[in-house]
Amino acid sequence: MLNKLQDLSAAECVHVLREMPLSVSEKRQIRALVFCETVQPLSVNRAMCCHQFKNGFLKVLCGYGEVSQQKSIQLWQGVLKNISAHFGTGVLSYFIFLRRLLHYNILLFLITGLFLVLPQISNPPLKSSKNKKEDSDDFWMLTGMGILTDSVMFYGHYTNESCKAEMKTFPENYNIPLAYIFTIGVGMFITCVMLVYSMSKSDGKSFRVFKTSGNLALKVFCSWDFKVSKKHSVKLQSVNICTQLKEMLSELSCEKEKRNLSSTLGWLSLHFLVWSICLACMAACVLAVCCLHSYLEPGSSKLANSFQKPVGLLTLPLVVSCVSHLLPGFFDMISSVEHYNSPSTRIYVSIARNLLLKGCIFGALCYYWLKKVSVGKDGQTTWQCWETLVGQELYRLVLIDLLFAMTYIILAEFLWGLCIRNITLRRKKLEFDIARDVLELIYGQTLVWFGVLFSPLLPVVQIGKLLVLFYLKKTSLMMNFQPPRKHWRATQMSTFFIKILFFPSFTGALACVIYAMLRVKPSSDCGPFSNVTNMLLLGKEWIMGLGKSNPNMFWLSWAYDHLVDNPMFLFITAGLFLSIIYVQMQVLDGQKMVVARLQEQIDNDHGIFVTDLNPCLARSDVHNYFEKFGTITECIETVAKLLTRSFKEDKTKVSSDAVILVAEMLKVFVEEATRRAVKQADSEDCDTIDIEHFEKILPQLDCRDTVAYPNYSGHKPLETIVD
Amino acid sequence: MDLFAQKKIQSTEPILIPHGELTFLTKQEILLAHKIFSELQGRENGPYSARVTMEKILTLPELKSNPFRKRICHVFSTSDMKDGSLSFEDFLDLLSAFSDSATLEIKSHYAFRIFDFDDDGTLDSRDLEKLVNCLTGETDDTRLTAEEMRQLISNILEESDIDKDGTVNLSEFQHVISRSPDFVR
Repeated sequence: MLNKLQDLSAAECVHVLREMPLSVSEKRQIRALVFCETVQPLSVNRAMCCHQFKNGFLKVLCGYGEVSQQKSIQLWQGVLKNISAHFGTGVLSYFIFLRRLLHYNILLFLITGLFLVLPQISNPPLKSSKNKKEDSDDFWMLTGMGILTDSVMFYGHYTNESCKAEMKTFPENYNIPLAYIFTIGVGMFITCVMLVYSMSKSDGKSFRVFKTSGNLALKVFCSWDFKVSKKHSVKLQSVNICTQLKEMLSELSCEKEKRNLSSTLGWLSLHFLVWSICLACMAACVLAVCCLHSYLEPGSSKLANSFQKPVGLLTLPLVVSCVSHLLPGFFDMISSVEHYNSPSTRIYVSIARNLLLKGCIFGALCYYWLKKVSVGKDGQTTWQCWETLVGQELYRLVLIDLLFAMTYIILAEFLWGLCIRNITLRRKKLEFDIARDVLELIYGQTLVWFGVLFSPLLPVVQIGKLLVLFYLKKTSLMMNFQPPRKHWRATQMSTFFIKILFFPSFTGALACVIYAMLRVKPSSDCGPFSNVTNMLLLGKEWIMGLGKSNPNMFWLSWAYDHLVDNPMFLFITAGLFLSIIYVQMQVLDGQKMVVARLQEQIDNDHGIFVTDLNPCLARSDVHNYFEKFGTITECIETVAKLLTRSFKEDKTKVSSDAVILVAEMLKVFVEEATRRAVKQADSEDCDTIDIEHFEKILPQLDCRDTVAYPNYSGHKPLETIVD
Repeated sequence: MDLFAQKKIQSTEPILIPHGELTFLTKQEILLAHKIFSELQGRENGPYSARVTMEKILTLPELKSNPFRKRICHVFSTSDMKDGSLSFEDFLDLLSAFSDSATLEIKSHYAFRIFDFDDDGTLDSRDLEKLVNCLTGETDDTRLTAEEMRQLISNILEESDIDKDGTVNLSEFQHVISRSPDFVR
């Protein structure tokens, strides 16, 4: 090695020395030997500027590993890290989902606030003579009636009358109805784009996690972060690694059980029973919603008492919240008799039931609002300003949902958790049901997306609700819950929940909104669309009018006429997009196949070399051989040096995989040669093996000549040759 | 660093020049290391071949809570008594191996030695068990059960033990590490 080092130049020698895994004192000695230097004191004029040290070394020595004090780039970064350290990535995904919904609502609020609410506030409508009687409602905050009825909160306040504005912040011809359509449309469009983008991104992320079984060793060897130095952070990291290891192990240990016919039948009948109970409950809920609606007509005069009226108004939201919070728990309870193969199947089934229930409730509500309330009995509108009524109902639903969730957390989590902890001897805590809580969030968000049309400030209520929920849930989690025992990968579940958020939640709400804008006649005595048959018609008229009045904008009306309104064009574009999507899906399938093949090849690459050496060897023989005699020697470095020495160019590098394969090949050769030499010596009745025996068998090892293996049958493992 | 310290440093500076070339640390870093090491020794400018005991090294804030602290001291110590005491050059070795500019080979070499609890040159199942226990912490609710530990170790050996001798040697360890997309310490 010394000779080799002396061949190199000084700089290269130092470079090579630095990369050797020896101690500094040994390296110094080697260096001294190579350069024949003696340590001499140099002149003291060599200046060292040692003023401010802001380099990485300083950071390492002076507490760079202060993980908890890093500036949070995103909202709640430190809190989320704490949660994930204690409870794993599954529970963390709920909070990340909550944060994502918060972002969507903030965006929606910004759009509607800037373009719809602010202009209306600065242009308040004239108090007309046909002022509706406003009841002074004590519970206006809860019920949305009273003062809030004719405020920017609800649809009824917006008007297309423009008055002389005192403040010239907005132009006088700011068309509120058009702004209404466009802000709702643009808000929905941007939300849609963001949802699709995050769906595709998380899909890509979960696709990369394709081989979970191969990552355990990597996790154990590489996951410890040596930069972390605070005791608390170190403890958090240990807990995090522990939960991740347990997660990966539990995934590996899902075993399939074989069942015979009778147990299969029993399993099927049990599932059928549970499903029928669930469906019956859902049907009962839908009926209850419809009956309650018809009993508690919003504009009826039955409940004229000032106390009974809020109670009557709040009954429906209360019932709906009860059903949507408590019934999924009931479903989970009765499904505990069912037997599932893996925990993820159980979770998917419970999510499906929960989703069906909420979908039914939302469908029933929408149907009632859009079909019954808007049209009224006998084709006559009995309720004035039905949009405001619907908006108020939605407001009540969202608010009561929040209040119910808060009571539920306090009662069922704080108090019940306290009881459980003190009563049970093992001080067990509650377990977090992630799927149920995420679906609650999705349901609430669906209501908001539908309600934006009737109540433009509903996103504000939702933002408040999400903030309250976050802090309450976080506190409750830390106090009352234990880390979930059954772990699963959160990446796939997050992707799944975003997909559910897009379809059916967002698409359902969007479909209802479009139906309301297109088909339902707006009420004629309030709101900005009081004199049109449907809302979108106003937009169409405006574009037509624009084209006629302003010759420069004629292209816009032409485009609308021939592109948007023309079904043929829409069919053609839809067909084109579908075919592009189909092609991309086929490409993706092909790539997945290639990845699977490469995976297989990596697993088999040890065997490929040996079977290439001897085509008569079967794959199973090679496998047996490797299991018995091992495949790799410890002389990898020697082999690497041999190889690099024989390269003509210095720049040629050899990868570690190639070195390992070559070492195997050499080992196989050497073993084979030794055994054949032994046999040769045996056949000559010699006790010792000489070089002549080797020389005699060497021609047999020429791998180009397959007939040199006459005694070889493909099924005998190599060790039987010696016997 | 003030001028007072600067004066002392200049006298030891010529001795320290080879260290700048042989380790992955810059000159400023080596000088700072010297300062900290002197403080640990309790003397201002002692000979840098003198050793600091393991207990004093473990008072450094970066190592105090690290579960691998004792192993780190043993691995980098070149003392004949195998007591984990570090000389200044051993200390520089330690910092160099953990610096960001160290190569993958150096890091994996020392990582292997740190994880090799019985110093026999291979990671057998006992080493792996101790390693996992260090990773997951000391408290009861973060330890893996015996069944989980057994399963974990058999999975690790299945994935990384290529020659099926029941242990992971340095080459196999480096083979596993090199597949990691983000092997950053």
